[in-house]
Amino acid sequence: MADPIYLDHAATTPVRPEVLAAMLPYYDARFGNPSSTHRWGREARTALDEARERVAACLGASADELCFTSGGTESDNLAILGGWRVLRSTGRRGVVTSPIEHKAVLEAVHKTASEGAEERMLAVDAGGTVTLVDARAKINESAALASVMWVNNEIGTIQPIAALAALAKEHGVLFHTDAVQAFGKIEVDARTIPFDFASISGHKIGAPKGIGAMFLRRGTPLEPLFFGGTQDRGRRPGTENVACAIGLATACELAVAERETSSAKYRLLRDRLQAGILAKVTNAVVNAGCADRAPHILNLTVPGADGESMLMALDLNGIACSGGSACQSGSTGGSHVLAAINPAASTGASVRMSVGSLSDEAAIDRAIDVFTKLAMKASGMVAA
Amino acid sequence: MSQKPRVLVAMSGGVDSSVAAALLVREGYDCVGVTMKLFEDGADLPDRPCCSLDSTSDARRVAQLLGMPHYVLNMVDHFGHDVIADFVSEYAAGRTPIPCVRCNTFTKFSDLVAKADGIDAAFVATGHYARVAGGQLLRGADDNKDQTYFLWGIDRGVIPRLMLPVGTLTKPETRQIARHLNLPRVADKAESQEICFVPGGDYMAVLRRELPADAPALIPGPFVLSDGTVVGTHEGFARYTIGQRRALPGGSAEPMFVVAIRPDDRAVVIGPRAEILGNGLIARGVNWLTDPPKVGDEVGVRVRHRAPIVAGEIVRLEGTEVEIALQSPVAAITPGQSAVLYSGDVVRGGGFIAASRRSRAPMPVLS
Repeated sequence: MADPIYLDHAATTPVRPEVLAAMLPYYDARFGNPSSTHRWGREARTALDEARERVAACLGASADELCFTSGGTESDNLAILGGWRVLRSTGRRGVVTSPIEHKAVLEAVHKTASEGAEERMLAVDAGGTVTLVDARAKINESAALASVMWVNNEIGTIQPIAALAALAKEHGVLFHTDAVQAFGKIEVDARTIPFDFASISGHKIGAPKGIGAMFLRRGTPLEPLFFGGTQDRGRRPGTENVACAIGLATACELAVAERETSSAKYRLLRDRLQAGILAKVTNAVVNAGCADRAPHILNLTVPGADGESMLMALDLNGIACSGGSACQSGSTGGSHVLAAINPAASTGASVRMSVGSLSDEAAIDRAIDVFTKLAMKASGMVAA
Repeated sequence: MSQKPRVLVAMSGGVDSSVAAALLVREGYDCVGVTMKLFEDGADLPDRPCCSLDSTSDARRVAQLLGMPHYVLNMVDHFGHDVIADFVSEYAAGRTPIPCVRCNTFTKFSDLVAKADGIDAAFVATGHYARVAGGQLLRGADDNKDQTYFLWGIDRGVIPRLMLPVGTLTKPETRQIARHLNLPRVADKAESQEICFVPGGDYMAVLRRELPADAPALIPGPFVLSDGTVVGTHEGFARYTIGQRRALPGGSAEPMFVVAIRPDDRAVVIGPRAEILGNGLIARGVNWLTDPPKVGDEVGVRVRHRAPIVAGEIVRLEGTEVEIALQSPVAAITPGQSAVLYSGDVVRGGGFIAASRRSRAPMPVLS
């Protein structure tokens, strides 16, 4: 078999060499605990403070507005539960979200509901975008918090975050956005859009797994999830993951500096992949194909094909992609995102392919070739 | 490098399918392991699509050790429809189902074969104790473990594509191989005779969950003798199966058994041992794994898992219904269970028992 092709950058990415190089000293000579007062501690503290400033700057924020976390899931949970638990005493009970969120958001919102919140699901149109009409009805004076992802992880749709954040602000509702798939692909700037919380994850942008960050606008109330220390102003107790924080800072800076060029490159590759497949698999449907999409994600449904067989066959033929989000392909349950926008997707094979640093034209062309053959066989089409 | 054909190996995480996979890998087949997720593990937690059964993790670990790819397939919808729903409706109809038969027929050797087609796998392998030879399905070499009782319903056309590597082994040999291969966690796993979707063997809990509270099978009804005398009240006929002695009213001179279940008036008929003996049976939904036998043919008949194979004769054969006369009486021939027919070690086919015959059926008139 020819070298396998990785088309699952939305699931995770390799750690960039620059990132790893920046981290290594903090596993070695500069191993100190940033809370220690001696020279080892000071050295680690300096690096951590700098990392916090650097990540914050990448989000248009100040250092005090940034918490390091273990990743996107923790950031989402901390923002939603931490925000809700402060606000529930105000009498505002609504917690607003969309049915196409990542499970880290959906389940955190379900948790608020078990604590007395009134869960409000925003309508999503067939293109996979939250509708503002419904948002205006649900993000109101009785709502405490709203959480809508910036870029959907399965279909890549870009949500109207500027309008939603403004709407929330107008009604005194805290607004969180899961920007895990958006950061590094489209501009995420706290100075231009008034979101109160934003989640980012390191391993989607070339930093290691296990590090992420939560932006928290200055003055926003938060009840911590963890207890037992004063680290990060008590918002996130526990000895900081210094090396990974530095890795995240390095990756964020690279992502922001390269954003326009890499996004343009990814868009060309993604569109090449899409056009190449559609040219032959003429009955394939691009999910959210007409919507405003982030540049790196392509989600296709091949009618009449079996999703699980298709994914296994793609993998066995060297094409790595996924059926929904990575978590779901562990047990390959149906996608709740596709179910929300395209009920017909369940009658075919839906595949998410996401381009990134490991993608080039040759790989895309080979992926088109393999995908096309398998899809035509799986859906009973005769190869041309 | 020429490679042996691809085999899709169904891996449950148990010792039998793990050893099956190991043997095929050792023989050089291009093995792809799959574990089927058949039902939600903990229906109380519907929002957890990633919930992993321990057995799935064990299967994955074995596949990792063997260096083969492993996937989890979600077959919850089909299994729920083809197996669990049927299990429930059979109990509701006063019969005693064997879900493993339908799982093999519909899930493992139909749905899973379709998945194998999707990845160009020439063969499907499982850890069943049965053998394949010359396009026929044969009893497993280990008489104690033979699982052909559950396999009669599969599509005959699938047999040439089956690989059943532990079918030639005894269970102790299988465990021994697992130990040799350093699969310690699976090697010493306790044998489970449980129905996979019935935790703790409490099938009544499944019925209570799936049936309305006032379903006839779950509400009180009479215990009657064959002469119609009412001798007590039971708490729902779904709790009973033919031949059962437990939870019957006392006070009889000799041991009493469940003789019949009558859903129409919710009666559980009880009687002495003589009344549970049958000399013949009618089976429906018959499936043949060889060319069909003819009326008058002698066959071996098994009416429940691990019961001895007894001699019988085919006395009627109409469409998918067969009537068999038994040479000597058999106890507790139970509607819903299977009647599996053998010629020596070869599985001829089988069907679902619809009724037992007290008296030996008259011989058909030969034309």
